[in-house]
Amino acid sequence: MKGSKGYLVVERRAGDEAGVLYADSMACELSGLTAEELQSVDPEQTLKHLKNDVVALDGEHELWILDTACNRHRRVAELEHMNAALEDALKAAEEANRAKSNFLSNLSHDIRTPMNAIVGMTSIGLSHIDEKSRVQDCLMKIKTASSHLMSLVNDVLDMSRIDSGRMTLNEEVFSLPDLVHDIAVIVRPQAEQKKQTLQMEIGQIYEENLIGDSLRLRQILVNIIGNAVKYTLENGSIRTRFSQRMPENREGSKPEKNTVVLEFLCEDNGIGMSQDFLSRIFLPFERVNNTTISKIEGTGLGMSIVKNLVDRMGGEITVESREGEGSCFRVTLPVAVAVHSRKEQELPEGETVLIAEDRDDRAEQISGYLEEAGLRPVRTRSGLETVTRLTEAQYENHMPCAMLLGQELEDMSVLELASHVRQLAGRTFPILLVSEADWAQIEYRASRAGVNAFVPCPLFRSRLMETLASCGSQEGTGRQAEREREYGSHHVLLVEDIALNQEIAVEMLTMMGVQVEAANNGAEALERFQASPEGHFEIIFMDIQMPVMDGYEATKRIRELPRKDGESVWIVAMTANAFVEDIRLSREAGMDEHCSKPIDPKRLQEILDSRFG
Amino acid sequence: MQPYQEEYIANLKEITLLTSGEEREGQNFEEFLAQADGQKRRAEEKAKRNMKLLREGLFPVLDHIFDADEEETAQLREFAGGLLSGRDELDVGLYCQVHKALLSLARQTKDRKNMIRELYSLGMGYYSISNKLVGLSREDTQKYISQMRLCFAEAAAYLKYFDEIEDGETRGYILRSRANMALGSFSSPSEKIRMVKRTLQILQDKGYQEKEPGLPWDRYIYMTHQQMAASISYSKDNTMTSEDIADVMESVYIVYQRRFQEAERKGEKPPLRPSFSYNTIAYFCGMLGLEELLAKMEDLMDGADPKDYSVDSMYSIISVPAFYCQFLNDYPEQIPKRKEYIENLYRRILDYVDTVPRAAENEALFLYLRQLSSTFVETEDSVLYKDFLLKLQMHFTPEIYIHSRMVAEMAAAFCGMIMDEEPWFFDDIEEICRIEEAEEKRRRAVAWAAECGMLHDVGKINFLNLYAQTARQWFEEEYEMAHLHTLMGANLLEARASTRIYASVAMGHHFWYDGSRGYPEAYQRLECPCRQMVDVIGLFDWISNVTDTARLYTGIEKTFEEAVREAVALEGRRFSPLLTARLRDEKIVSGIKAAFETGRREAYRQLYALRT
Repeated sequence: MKGSKGYLVVERRAGDEAGVLYADSMACELSGLTAEELQSVDPEQTLKHLKNDVVALDGEHELWILDTACNRHRRVAELEHMNAALEDALKAAEEANRAKSNFLSNLSHDIRTPMNAIVGMTSIGLSHIDEKSRVQDCLMKIKTASSHLMSLVNDVLDMSRIDSGRMTLNEEVFSLPDLVHDIAVIVRPQAEQKKQTLQMEIGQIYEENLIGDSLRLRQILVNIIGNAVKYTLENGSIRTRFSQRMPENREGSKPEKNTVVLEFLCEDNGIGMSQDFLSRIFLPFERVNNTTISKIEGTGLGMSIVKNLVDRMGGEITVESREGEGSCFRVTLPVAVAVHSRKEQELPEGETVLIAEDRDDRAEQISGYLEEAGLRPVRTRSGLETVTRLTEAQYENHMPCAMLLGQELEDMSVLELASHVRQLAGRTFPILLVSEADWAQIEYRASRAGVNAFVPCPLFRSRLMETLASCGSQEGTGRQAEREREYGSHHVLLVEDIALNQEIAVEMLTMMGVQVEAANNGAEALERFQASPEGHFEIIFMDIQMPVMDGYEATKRIRELPRKDGESVWIVAMTANAFVEDIRLSREAGMDEHCSKPIDPKRLQEILDSRFG
Repeated sequence: MQPYQEEYIANLKEITLLTSGEEREGQNFEEFLAQADGQKRRAEEKAKRNMKLLREGLFPVLDHIFDADEEETAQLREFAGGLLSGRDELDVGLYCQVHKALLSLARQTKDRKNMIRELYSLGMGYYSISNKLVGLSREDTQKYISQMRLCFAEAAAYLKYFDEIEDGETRGYILRSRANMALGSFSSPSEKIRMVKRTLQILQDKGYQEKEPGLPWDRYIYMTHQQMAASISYSKDNTMTSEDIADVMESVYIVYQRRFQEAERKGEKPPLRPSFSYNTIAYFCGMLGLEELLAKMEDLMDGADPKDYSVDSMYSIISVPAFYCQFLNDYPEQIPKRKEYIENLYRRILDYVDTVPRAAENEALFLYLRQLSSTFVETEDSVLYKDFLLKLQMHFTPEIYIHSRMVAEMAAAFCGMIMDEEPWFFDDIEEICRIEEAEEKRRRAVAWAAECGMLHDVGKINFLNLYAQTARQWFEEEYEMAHLHTLMGANLLEARASTRIYASVAMGHHFWYDGSRGYPEAYQRLECPCRQMVDVIGLFDWISNVTDTARLYTGIEKTFEEAVREAVALEGRRFSPLLTARLRDEKIVSGIKAAFETGRREAYRQLYALRT
């Protein structure tokens, strides 16, 4: 057909569409239609691509010359198609540019905000340089602004790594409980600041030691929970849940050995997202605009990074949300299980463990774990009920093997109860605190109250059992051996003139694992110290009122000795003189600590821990 | 008792007399001042002697407590009994120390009988301590109440083994401990009522009574009814269930009937105290309206004889008004029509307080006045709340009044000097910032400083035993407890419109400038609306304490010059450098020293005027 032409006569009346009056056989062939069919189509639409030339016959009729040899129409069609594609590309580029412009504008705002704080606070600090507390306050604000700035920069760098394909994932063994606790430490204060309830639940966990990139995993989870905190109003609530399931058996394939699927859920009753935004949530530079949440900062890269990381880890992330009602994120990730030899905990099967906890969910979780381990949980809700039970148990000689103090009690603070139980049940009775609190913040008070060990929440079975086992054997050789390993190389000198007091203190210190030597008065202590090699004694527990030479004098003489450890050895006053002035006097005499009598084992332990720990 | 124990108790009694400052008739001011100085010196000597007695006599025994024989422990118990017995409280801190040691011994030797007894005794000591914390939040007092309740609960747990414990006295301690578990405040009245009800059920159980017929069961039951009836005082509308009301009502009726019968038998006037409970329970169960209840309370208050200084009369004159005002605070719409009555009521109370013979039932009087201070209703023409608080200070803690006056004078003098140089120095205080005229600005700042100085330690009023009656240095626990005076003071001042602006000063004056130390944690210096003034009061409070006021209970004693030097050495840490920088100027220091002396003398003059 190359070079052949077809002819059409087209009638064009004013107000009417154009119509075909006549078509020759070649025109029919070129168009692929019969002459009758051609008469019923709109030639402008159907034959446009074949139309090569037009000759006006009169005011209403035209002669159309159709030609396939000429590619003009095809080119036009192609060009139009390309134009459309280009228009789409332009639109997309403009959209991306808008997002990037928004991002840049946001970023410049977000960078400027902390920078303003840094610059402003620096000026204020400099102008009040004499006011230490003012300067301290400025520095704290500068620190906060700097860390925020750092996180912005990190997000941008991460995204750039992802874009350029330079993001690699590590394969390392990590502990799931450690990871979850790290996350809790990061996100809890943020939620507390907004007075939100943050529940962190632990579901079925098969394996706690896993292989993967724990840093990136933490980044994913912190980002999701952090967003929940950010986009939930004050006093709102956030619930997270960590669990595992075994991988599903895909058709025809065996489930992968040594892999579990980590499931994470985070739901909140925050501001939620529109359906429109949900479709863009994982695109870079997008973030929710909502007037109810002020001061929301960030690059809008977080969720995009999360999505990329989850994809790279072979997992899935989904989100459901309703505006004004809240959001729910779900992440599933296949994670390799680390090969490890599971160390069975030595727990006294069938023994009773007392749980003092008013919160039902926590008490049930603890009870469940204890029952699985063959222990018998008994639960109390209040301090008074606990003391009553323990008194009865002591009377009937069936004391529980330990007490787990929970988060809260009906009638008093858990530490008040701990303090009384320590007196009631004696120094060897294990008291464990199972709490969401930050141990670093409460350690001093808790240890003073007689708490032996801390089990952090979210609660993992292994943590609870390990701690219980280590405390449970406190009286037995296991804990003793451990302590001897811990403190066995440390020598302390006990200076006490009363034989019974000396015996009790030696017993206590020995139980705590240190090597104890005893002297009967200050002069004997001085002699022993002088005769010992330098650095041999690290602590001297010194009674004050003693015959021959009292504790103050002995301390003074030791401090004056011409040997290095004369100055550095810790001297702890042990006396019933409990006035504030006595404490001051002992310090003035060169003593480092004060321990009142009758000796409280928890105070002794505290002193050893602070010196050797 | 050992001779040192007898001497210690005798000294305590003498110190109480010396600090209450009995003046001779017809004394002029100079004689009064000289006598006050002499009494203070003698009290300090006695206190020093007491410290020596404890160091040489008691502490070695406590040191060897596990070696103590029966005679020694019996003497310790007798000694402790002299320190706190019923309402007679001489040294509750030492009482607790002795019983703690005896409890440790009983636990060590597994001596159940003594363990129960010591738990009861220690619980009573803690009760005495916690009973003073009127007006503090439950959060702040919970520690002390829990300590008390845990001791009683442990002793009461032996009720299960009542049959096996054959000693009647120990059985008595178990039952009393059970009853005392309901002492102190609870999170809800229902909780307390349930606890008392359970005790009543135990005490009325014939099974127990038959096992130990020698115990004073009737007395136990009646006292428990009294406890139940008293719980009405702490109740509010809608906080009790109908079952609670029925339980309380039964006890109120029993107590009411018995007291009236007793009075009739003795030919005495009908008692006023049970009438209050009787009317209140009638209100709670709907038999009386609020108006009627308030009118009946007014009858009770008006019917009391202002020359009768018995506990019953004091109750009607001071304690009933406290509960009356509590109702008015809960229903403020009742205040306008009772304005005049309230105004007269407070004047009448203060007149009564002025005429109460010293040491006559002062413990009860003091408790009632503290109740009144925590529910005080302030109206336009009523006695000003600050004046009411200062009156309490002058009567019950004159030492603190003198200290406050000295701090006020020093702070006012110092602020005047600061304002001369930097008129904008106190512009963090909104009221002062708004004043433009320099002289007026200065006058206001000085007046602020004086008011803050007078009121900064009002919280100490709750710790009479630590400040006014102390006869030795504090123990560590007491030192910790004394810290609560800042919160207590802030709570008191915060609750009334006329004193609200000074609350931060009471709260923050023991906080270190750099935030590294001090108390309470609740104070945030940088958020404080008058932090420069808090810094000023903190500085002069410290100077006055280390030179004069606190040397008895902390053992720190410095001259004025030493104190100033040390304050400068603590610059930037404990004290604001903006203030200590001025203490390098000798002229300023001598001005402050003059104010220090004037303040002391002026305070004594006020006390003299009050007493003569």
